[in-house]
Amino acid sequence: MKRRTWILSALGATGALMVGWGVMPARSRLGSPELMLKTEGDVALNGWIKIAKDGAVVLAMPRSEMGQGIHTALAMLVAEELDMPLNRVRLEQAGADSIYGNVAMLVASLPFHPLDSEGEHKPTKIKMGEWLVGKIARELGINATGGSSSIADLWEPMRMAAATARASLVQAAAAAWKVPANEITVAQGVMQHASGKTAHFGEMAASAAGTTPANITPKASKDWKLIGQATARTDIPAKVTGQATFGLDVRLPGMLFAAVQMCPMIGGSAASMDTKDALALKGVSKVVPLDAWGGGTAGLAVVGQTTWHARQGVKAIKVQWQAPATGALDSQRIQADLLKALNTESGFTFHEQGVPTQAEKAAATRIDALYQAPYLAHATMEPMNCTAQVKDGKVEIWVPTQVPQMARDMAAKVAKVDKDKVTVHVTQLGGGFGRRLEVDFVGQAVQVAMACEGQPVQLSWSREEDMTHDFFRPMHLAKFQASLDDKGEVTSLRIKSAGDAITPRWMARAVPALSGPIDMPDKTASEGLFDLPYGFASQHMSHVATKSSVPVGFWRSVGHSHNAFFSESFIDELAAATKQDPLAFRLNWLKDAPRYAAVLKLAADKAAWGTPLPAGRARGIALHESFGSIVAQVAEVSLADGQIRVHRVVCAIDCGTVVNPATVAQQVESSVIFGLSAALFGKIDIVGGAVQQSNFSNAPIVSLGQAPQVETHIVPSTRHPAGVGEPAVPPLAPAVGNALFALTGKRQRALPLVV
Amino acid sequence: MDLNINGQSRTSNADPSMLLLWVLRDELNLTGTKFGCGIAACGACTVHVGGQPVRSCVMPVSAVANQQIKTIESLGSAEKPHPLQAAWIAEQVPQCGYCQSGMLMAAAALLDKNANPSDADIDAAMTNLCRCGTYQRVRAAIHRAAVQMKKGGAA
Repeated sequence: MKRRTWILSALGATGALMVGWGVMPARSRLGSPELMLKTEGDVALNGWIKIAKDGAVVLAMPRSEMGQGIHTALAMLVAEELDMPLNRVRLEQAGADSIYGNVAMLVASLPFHPLDSEGEHKPTKIKMGEWLVGKIARELGINATGGSSSIADLWEPMRMAAATARASLVQAAAAAWKVPANEITVAQGVMQHASGKTAHFGEMAASAAGTTPANITPKASKDWKLIGQATARTDIPAKVTGQATFGLDVRLPGMLFAAVQMCPMIGGSAASMDTKDALALKGVSKVVPLDAWGGGTAGLAVVGQTTWHARQGVKAIKVQWQAPATGALDSQRIQADLLKALNTESGFTFHEQGVPTQAEKAAATRIDALYQAPYLAHATMEPMNCTAQVKDGKVEIWVPTQVPQMARDMAAKVAKVDKDKVTVHVTQLGGGFGRRLEVDFVGQAVQVAMACEGQPVQLSWSREEDMTHDFFRPMHLAKFQASLDDKGEVTSLRIKSAGDAITPRWMARAVPALSGPIDMPDKTASEGLFDLPYGFASQHMSHVATKSSVPVGFWRSVGHSHNAFFSESFIDELAAATKQDPLAFRLNWLKDAPRYAAVLKLAADKAAWGTPLPAGRARGIALHESFGSIVAQVAEVSLADGQIRVHRVVCAIDCGTVVNPATVAQQVESSVIFGLSAALFGKIDIVGGAVQQSNFSNAPIVSLGQAPQVETHIVPSTRHPAGVGEPAVPPLAPAVGNALFALTGKRQRALPLVV
Repeated sequence: MDLNINGQSRTSNADPSMLLLWVLRDELNLTGTKFGCGIAACGACTVHVGGQPVRSCVMPVSAVANQQIKTIESLGSAEKPHPLQAAWIAEQVPQCGYCQSGMLMAAAALLDKNANPSDADIDAAMTNLCRCGTYQRVRAAIHRAAVQMKKGGAA
């Protein structure tokens, strides 16, 4: 199947929806005031903005804070448009209306080549595709925090909502003061007129309510006072005093605690269990067999008066576990299967240009390489948990989640109630990284709460359960083949990859009505391979979607996280094979991608690429685009007693318009360390159906003493804001691998890196 | 048994083998101290016992009876932050924030022993894990707090 066929079939499925839409602009996301929570004394002006009596603003917040600083950045957009201090914007969890859904994330799932959108004018086919998927996403209204998409998605709707609210408030003041609206200025949340009249927003909110001013546009960039300024995060003070409420910190009157154990064999279940000893323990009240929810594995939960009691109970249960009917999984066997698939199947073509077969036939030299990456766990610091109460036909859950509606739907399904009987409270997330796009643990918590006669119960996982029952980054293999002509110039690049597709599996869990076969084409499988910026005349990139039953999920930067290691390492191989400097080689092939070249040059300049280093140290460079942002990194690496030591990582990023540069630096630093943990240590092995790694003792992550110094350099830009939370993860592994090659002469073709 | 937590005496009926972390979190609702790994590997549960940093997830409560236990809740407050907390804000250290209570308690124990730690001292003492990778800011904030504490002011 060719890419075009796939897109067309996707479009065909939604053809009925298209009728009458062709001439319609994007449907407004302003929303009506009724969508906001009714609170005493506050006046809602639209679906996003409420004005408090004292003039403060309450913002409907649909996105989850998991460390990426999004609550601050989105509040900045609103403070900017309303000309008010950031600390006077309060957040309120948004409801479930489709205006809060994430359009940008779904649009970004289209497999378009990013270079096609680099120019000033996007090609019509891309605009059409984005328009259509945007329409569908708008109607679906899936609220998800992921895909580094929050700012890109809410940039327009939130600024429009705030600008509209501001215009209503100014109009109300103008009417009250009998002066023209354009003579009223706003500063620090106070409206003023030259006549001496002043009022804060709260004083005009009641008369502003219900008005809908026309022709609103957000501020021009030259008028920004807050956007683009390094701004202190509003969530940090509570996080240094222990006062922030994560999922595990929810405390309710009469609350019980539950610990879980799932079948160690993925997809397996309990054949029998002896609960006598557990139930005899003081403080243990119940054992609840758990079904497999949301793609997870079945098991059991023990309810006790504290988490400790519940865990003692779990240890005391004797269980006969059984493998799933499909047999026990084995990651080595899966690796062999992927290799076989690579060698025998043609896969789905994501990108083709020139005539690769011709170039290959005419090649003077061929360079081949096989790259591989293992399964990976997310290992958020806060293990999976959910607190639930099922009472009087209603369900209430408190959960650190990236997908509140999916959590709601899961709770409704388990408790067999209508969705509107479920209330979801989203807490702070102790890390997300994609793991909290799943709601398996929500199903468990509600199932346990149903057995607790109306008492709330906090269900939490041990680190061992968290690591062994993750939705792992899929194992991935890729074959590279480059052709060189007799002058040593690269004439073609062919890449074929193999691995399980994530999105169709997740769609089946998230939106079952839209799900298709698990091996359908998924952009995330080939991203970072099919979308390279290098101008090789002939290219062919395909992916073979495999069909293992390992639970796989979105892992920070998704396909890019391993594919960038493959592609940027292989580009380095080509530089070496043609005896060129890795920077010069890349720049030579980036003549039609000036923005990429600029980012690469900036990183190289700041890292003093090409200047001597102390003996025993070497630099490696990598460049990668993901989530709309281009990132280049230079890593300085040495070896000490056979251990890889990364001293410094210089990073340049072009992420379009920047809202909070302080957050960009934080996220780059975070991404480098996250990427480095995966590059140095990250792997999950499955033997006899069971994950072998279980805790930080046998699945280490980078510690403070191993952490490099990270420098962030932001390319100024006026483009639409792009992703920040993930794009600095992918280039790290190839930058380090390429530095190791420079140091040792040995090419790194597998993760984790081994010297 | 008698427990002294954040300067207050409390009587606990907890099972002597119950781990301190869960007494703090689930019995006393002092939820600032976090669970991360349960094997003393990550340090999210770090508290002070008799001034020493201790990983409360492996510490039976009976072993700390009658000793001074200090948790993040007593390090400082929003109104009166500890110099480390002020430095943590100045350096914008936390991201998700989950590990930061433990980080701060480990850092406070370090500065109690060593008012002017070198980078190597910080590397050796700060073995807490952070999945958001806030390490370089943790290091900078400890240096900043050390300087401020020497001056006798807030960071």
